[in-house]
Amino acid sequence: MKRNVFSTNKVQLLIFLLPAFLIVLLFYIIPIIITVYVSFTPMRNWNIDKYFNVIVGLQNYNRLFSLITRDPVARQVVVNTIVFVAITLVINVLGGLGLALANFFIDERVSTGFRTLWLLPRMTPIAVYGLLWYYFFHGSNIGMLNSIAMSLGLIKKPIAWGQEVIPWGPWSIIIIVNGFVGVSFGMVIFYSALKSIPRELIIAARVDGASNWKLTTNILIPLLRWHLLFVTTWQLLSLLTTYAHTFLLVEWGVVSRTYGQTWALYVFNTAFGRGEQDQGLAAAAAVILVIFGAILGWITVRALGFNKMITKPKGDI
Amino acid sequence: MVSVRLEKVTKKFGKVVAVNNVDLEIEEGEFMALLGPSGSGKSTLLYLIAGIYKPTSGKIFFDDHDVTNLPPRERNVGLVFQNYALYPHMKVYDNIAFPLKIKKVPKEEIRRKVFEVAKLLRIEHLLDRYPGQLSGGQQQRVAIARALVKEPQVLLLDEPLSNLDALLRVSVRSELKRLQKNLGITAIYVTHDQAEAMALADRIAIINEGVIQQVDLPEVVYNRPKNMFVGGFIGNPPMNFVEAGVEYNETVKLIVGEDSVWLPQEYIEILRKLKLQKVVLGFRPEDVLVLKDESQVEPGSSVIRGEIFTVEPMGREVLLTIMIGETMVKVYAPPTQYYSMGDKVFLQINPAKLRLFDPDTTIALEYLVKT
Amino acid sequence: MMQLWDVEVKSRKIEIVLILAVLLASLPLILNYGLLILSSFSTEMVTNLDPTSFRPTIDNWILLFEGRLSVTGGVREDVVRYTINTAIVALGVAGVVVLVSVMAGYAMSRMNFKGRSLIMQLILLLHAFPGVALIIAVYLIFRATLPSDIELARIYSFAYVIVARAALEIPMSIWLIKGFFDRVPWEVEWAAIIDGASRLRVWREVMLPMVKPGIAAIAIFAFLAGWEDLIYVRTFLFDRTLATYIESNINVEFAYMPLLAAAGTLYLLPTILFFILTQRLLLETSTGGIKG
Ligand SMILES: Nc1ncnc2c1ncn2[C@@H]1O[C@H](COP(=O)(O)OP(=O)(O)OP(=O)(O)O)[C@@H](O)[C@H]1O
Ligand SMILES: [Mg+2]
Repeated sequence: MKRNVFSTNKVQLLIFLLPAFLIVLLFYIIPIIITVYVSFTPMRNWNIDKYFNVIVGLQNYNRLFSLITRDPVARQVVVNTIVFVAITLVINVLGGLGLALANFFIDERVSTGFRTLWLLPRMTPIAVYGLLWYYFFHGSNIGMLNSIAMSLGLIKKPIAWGQEVIPWGPWSIIIIVNGFVGVSFGMVIFYSALKSIPRELIIAARVDGASNWKLTTNILIPLLRWHLLFVTTWQLLSLLTTYAHTFLLVEWGVVSRTYGQTWALYVFNTAFGRGEQDQGLAAAAAVILVIFGAILGWITVRALGFNKMITKPKGDI
Repeated sequence: MVSVRLEKVTKKFGKVVAVNNVDLEIEEGEFMALLGPSGSGKSTLLYLIAGIYKPTSGKIFFDDHDVTNLPPRERNVGLVFQNYALYPHMKVYDNIAFPLKIKKVPKEEIRRKVFEVAKLLRIEHLLDRYPGQLSGGQQQRVAIARALVKEPQVLLLDEPLSNLDALLRVSVRSELKRLQKNLGITAIYVTHDQAEAMALADRIAIINEGVIQQVDLPEVVYNRPKNMFVGGFIGNPPMNFVEAGVEYNETVKLIVGEDSVWLPQEYIEILRKLKLQKVVLGFRPEDVLVLKDESQVEPGSSVIRGEIFTVEPMGREVLLTIMIGETMVKVYAPPTQYYSMGDKVFLQINPAKLRLFDPDTTIALEYLVKT
Repeated sequence: MMQLWDVEVKSRKIEIVLILAVLLASLPLILNYGLLILSSFSTEMVTNLDPTSFRPTIDNWILLFEGRLSVTGGVREDVVRYTINTAIVALGVAGVVVLVSVMAGYAMSRMNFKGRSLIMQLILLLHAFPGVALIIAVYLIFRATLPSDIELARIYSFAYVIVARAALEIPMSIWLIKGFFDRVPWEVEWAAIIDGASRLRVWREVMLPMVKPGIAAIAIFAFLAGWEDLIYVRTFLFDRTLATYIESNINVEFAYMPLLAAAGTLYLLPTILFFILTQRLLLETSTGGIKG
């Protein structure tokens, strides 16, 4: 008979966790270390042999700082990021709340259709989703926006909205495109939270004669406080780090590079973009993003009490 | 088959003490009922024996073999869970076969054993179904079959009948008893239904708040409860308790309100030893004669005066709720008499059946002197 | 439950107003998707909302599968191959994600060990981690480990993109599937353990069948994540997928835009299919599915 229960349990535990551990190690922990390391090297054009062993200290960080203070394009990246994140965040949180509330008050079958529709952008292939908006904002008369504006007599000839109307054209486009993706996060979270509110509570309020508006402001929204905080911080994090959709918009010329590029995209383009690729600089910019994201993320996870959601397993086996 | 012995077993969940310093021995082949209210630690105790929980302190023995640190699979126990815990994605056959499959028993033998135990429990015709397609009673038999098929040394049953209707419960429980005796398995049966415990068990262990209150034969637990908890827990309705003063003269008698109650010799001696000024008088609803008229009272016997509060006809008997001073008691009376609310009555308690408890410790007086 | 709602004094009028409002907000989406699909069956793009542009044809689809970018053009694009490549990546991602998270999720839900709560929180944090910061180093590792044999390198690039993309989905999938494991009654697991099964066996034979909906959910999310991906595919994969095909051909002449609309519609098809078939599952579990 095996007497040593605990050691066999440990072995089983390790087997279960091993694949996940390897993935996290190989695709998170080691890359983070490498990224930090690369930010101290003059790595460019992926010339690993030449630059990997060269350490230049904080040079990349100094360059990044002087670019931001002197180079108008780099400075614009910071402005773009702030405008994009702030406005999209508000749209996503309020839009998600609005959608969730509206769906909450309408017939379940209708709302299922709506909610599915609004979830679609999030799951649509990025290239297809980009294609949709490419047509929508297209600078010729096949562009939907142009044809609407022209038939309403607002403009005489087609406009390349993302290139010609500076800076609000490109800003609006990246906000709209990412907003339609982000809004579903809040919608789903808020909706499921609303659905889990005890019905007696709502019925009691109804019997007391509360209108939809009163019900919403006095009962529903206060009950959603945790979820509001969660959606806000989580969206803030993901807006800071998202870049795939904007990447296509910029690449396809739907929006101007100067006014469409946010920090995360700047990192990507600096490392992988056309022309000279400057991985050292990109890594430095990435590290700053990581530090920002990690602090914000950790505060969120702690403040929202996710640790309380993790109940201890039962039994002593 | 083995005997099971718990030595000073304690199980804590954080601050909650679910099982508190329990000493308990279940003999080989014995059917022990574990009786207690909800949350008293019954399931925890079973899980400790099965090895799912490890005691915070104390030891568990199967015969003389210390199994405290043995994992569940090396203890060879069968456990029937409160909610059956059948594998919903397996057919009944595979549910029952599962323990044997794990043990790598040859296919043919598995087949033979499953059919054998299915026949025993009369579920052969259900083997092809999924648990979701069975009634509660059928599921419960499948769970028992699964526990029995591996021929466990100890069979643990956690309120297996609680989901059955009253009629089915009675028939299944006698079946269970027959099965256990035929197979000679040591069994521990958790329930909070005392009638079930009385009907099934060789001995009953009563547990409350993790502490074992009394372990004894069913009739002893019923007739000579060790403390007020046991008296108040067992019986339906349970034992009545009335506070009484004690008067020590040439004899010793109880004073309830204005009435005196004579005591049997046994209690007179105990009280003289203990010299208590106050006791709690306990008596069961069926051990009382309800007299409507003082003239019916036999001379020399003692009665307590009361007033009828409610009358509930129960068919064979009438259940009366009677106020004695401020205390409410329940008693059975024959339906031949007509009772109505507000009637003044005289309660004549069978002196051989009355019990006395110490109001401070709640322990029955005869147990106080014994220890 | 139904009766409970019945007591409510719901106003039909307000409901209709709300439906119209949401419909109005959804209009850009409905139009965008609708006109893309419609354009793929038209000789001209109908995104200008001009009904006269719509002249039905299936030529776009024929050209697409013939691998031509224009009626006259000689460039051959093997769209069937791209579709297969996309599917390989998507299925690969789904496979890796399911296997890894189903194992880790079980341990996180059911096994007690030191630092468990901390690890779960860190996993949540990984989900929000700036992917762009990782991809530089992940690509560096890719470059450094790439086999020199070209055929081998092609296969390696498939494997690499699958695991690298799966890595992004795994943190949330672990959380998601853990929730499903959490809901399986402990007694069922204990029953199996008392019956003599090891944890590995309990996991495989008892727990996995009981969390099938959860496995389906994470598999679908992971499949769609692999299917929709552009960035990882364009960075790592030697071969083309539908995403990179569309990405690089967007700027061909206007006349052939409907052909790309057909490509887009083809690419969108599985997504729509999953949405219709597994609507409920997606709606109920999508909160954890992907980044917001
Ligand atoms: N895993 C656990 N963690 C914390 N407390 C627990 C745990 N399991 C049981 N308890 C507590 O221990 C006490 C005993 O629980 P147990 O389930 O043994 O009661 P029981 O007698 O079986 O009750 P019931 O008749 O309702 O099944 C209860 O107070 C319960 O809340
Ligand atoms: Mg219990």
